[in-house]
Amino acid sequence: MPAACEQAAREGHKVLHIFPEQGSVRVALWQKDGRFDEIDVGPGPHARPSRRGFPSMRFAEEQEFTPEAFEPASAEPEVTGEGMHVVPLGPVRADVAEALRYEMNVLGDQIHGLTLRNGYKRRGVARLMQGSEALAALEISERVTGTSTVAHALAFSLAVEDALGLAIGEGASVLRSALAELERLHSHLGDLASLAASTGMVVAAADLYRLRESILRFAEHWTGHRYLRGVVGPGGWRRELPDVSPDLASLLEEAEGQFLAVRRALDHTNSFLDRLHGAGRIPGKSLELVGVVGRSAGVAEDVRWDRPYAWYPELCFGRRPSGFAAGDAYGRYFVRCEEIAQSIAMLRRSGAARAAGTQPPAYGGGGVGYGLVESPRGRLFYRVALRGGRIETCRIRTASSINWVAVPPAVANHNILQDFPIIDASFNLAVASLDL
Amino acid sequence: MFYPRWIANLVKGPAVLRRRVASRGTKAMSPARLFARSLAIRHLDAGSCNGCESEIGLLGSPIYDLSRFGFSFTPSPRHADLLLVTGVVTDAMVPLIRATYDAMPGPKLVVAAGSCAIDGCVFRGAPGVVGDLAEIVPVDAWIPGCPPSPDNLLDALLSLVGRGAAGAGEVG
Repeated sequence: MPAACEQAAREGHKVLHIFPEQGSVRVALWQKDGRFDEIDVGPGPHARPSRRGFPSMRFAEEQEFTPEAFEPASAEPEVTGEGMHVVPLGPVRADVAEALRYEMNVLGDQIHGLTLRNGYKRRGVARLMQGSEALAALEISERVTGTSTVAHALAFSLAVEDALGLAIGEGASVLRSALAELERLHSHLGDLASLAASTGMVVAAADLYRLRESILRFAEHWTGHRYLRGVVGPGGWRRELPDVSPDLASLLEEAEGQFLAVRRALDHTNSFLDRLHGAGRIPGKSLELVGVVGRSAGVAEDVRWDRPYAWYPELCFGRRPSGFAAGDAYGRYFVRCEEIAQSIAMLRRSGAARAAGTQPPAYGGGGVGYGLVESPRGRLFYRVALRGGRIETCRIRTASSINWVAVPPAVANHNILQDFPIIDASFNLAVASLDL
Repeated sequence: MFYPRWIANLVKGPAVLRRRVASRGTKAMSPARLFARSLAIRHLDAGSCNGCESEIGLLGSPIYDLSRFGFSFTPSPRHADLLLVTGVVTDAMVPLIRATYDAMPGPKLVVAAGSCAIDGCVFRGAPGVVGDLAEIVPVDAWIPGCPPSPDNLLDALLSLVGRGAAGAGEVG
């Protein structure tokens, strides 16, 4: 990592993204006072950003990190020994899963090492966005990660608004927060459903899937799209939405009751808890993890609370929801459960806001803007450079691309092969947001 | 003699079955006849945004429950009758799609699910993106949508095996 980054980290700033720009390497910082800063650390070559002792991400980020700008990554330590063999998995794997290759070093049943190989589904998002119209780039950003559509559209919109100095009304702010929480709700329910399925809890999985489907159907009823596409945009929102406040209220009432029942049942199922406690524990506490994974491992970062955007200044106040320090599969289950309750409470407060009238954005100007939001999987950063209404560059740093580095050490931490599906489901990170 | 026939059966399948299939011709047999009561599906992600996976994952939930039609997901291409491909078809996935297709025993079907697998959707023309599954393997059906809803997926799969009117509706 460039020395300037380490200096900034010592001073309490957070490194949001490191990217090459016009022959030089730039570092986007989230300063202690909440403002964004950018420093130029020269053309390099620089040491690659710290993996905190996790060198197993071989291909990650290579698109962003051009070879001229950074020194090549050091070779991974090999796991060898008598009886040690490799269990390959993927990229075509499991029943329905994203393309990613796992190579587990296994002795007997014990997993001693995991190497992830990604890059199978790289779609060239950054290069595709270069030179495109702002609205076309928005369409692409909505399809970076399908289950985090609102988060990506919102981060992109905030960045464009920041670059052009656009102000948005309160109605749009409320709507954005409501949509983001609805998305978090269906994403977390899906994560919990796959966790329940991985532990053999078919009834709980069925209940959670059913609950998730009811949220998705409400999303379609409200916005016309199950994954809330085509609503959030720079300058506010992109089309009128019907008034569905009574439907939202009854949905939340029903969802809360059903979810509490499922959670109570799971919390009293020993075989379920037994598989989660201690499984996939993330070693070490000094990790720069984000989102649910971070909050379950003692990193109390939540952009909604630390740097409120949209309507979150009104929604996030008082005592911060408690995280979890253990960093194991149970911690991730616990934090997701808490956040579902929290999202339901936030949705109750915001209601199905009905933004009146659309505000056509003027894309004439140019400039550089930043967008930082809390996506369902954690902190999502966009840096958009505009010129004459077109995207010059768009830099994206997703939560999954940060958190994937924690998966190999967590899996290779006194777990056996049979734990692997549970650990994988407890993280439930997106491969789509790793392979941009 | 018993012994040569036994060997032949092992290698080529029972003579009775061989004759029947040969007389109708594998190509002439409609998917409806071949798979109507049972369809093993191998899903393959060729560069999706995970929206399609999210919807396909819901097919197994009690609301859609594809197992009531005799459909199932299989982890092994060797057991698969149908290859369900999602995503933009990236260059890195092309050899893997071919390998998976070749590993499936015939007769087999290929379905392109979602706008990305059909024409690349918004990623058309992006670096490293093929954008059309039909350029890689022969495609039997296309399911449009971004992402296609579980209803659409189920309807399409049922009509592909000739059971379109069987009522894909919800379990309730």
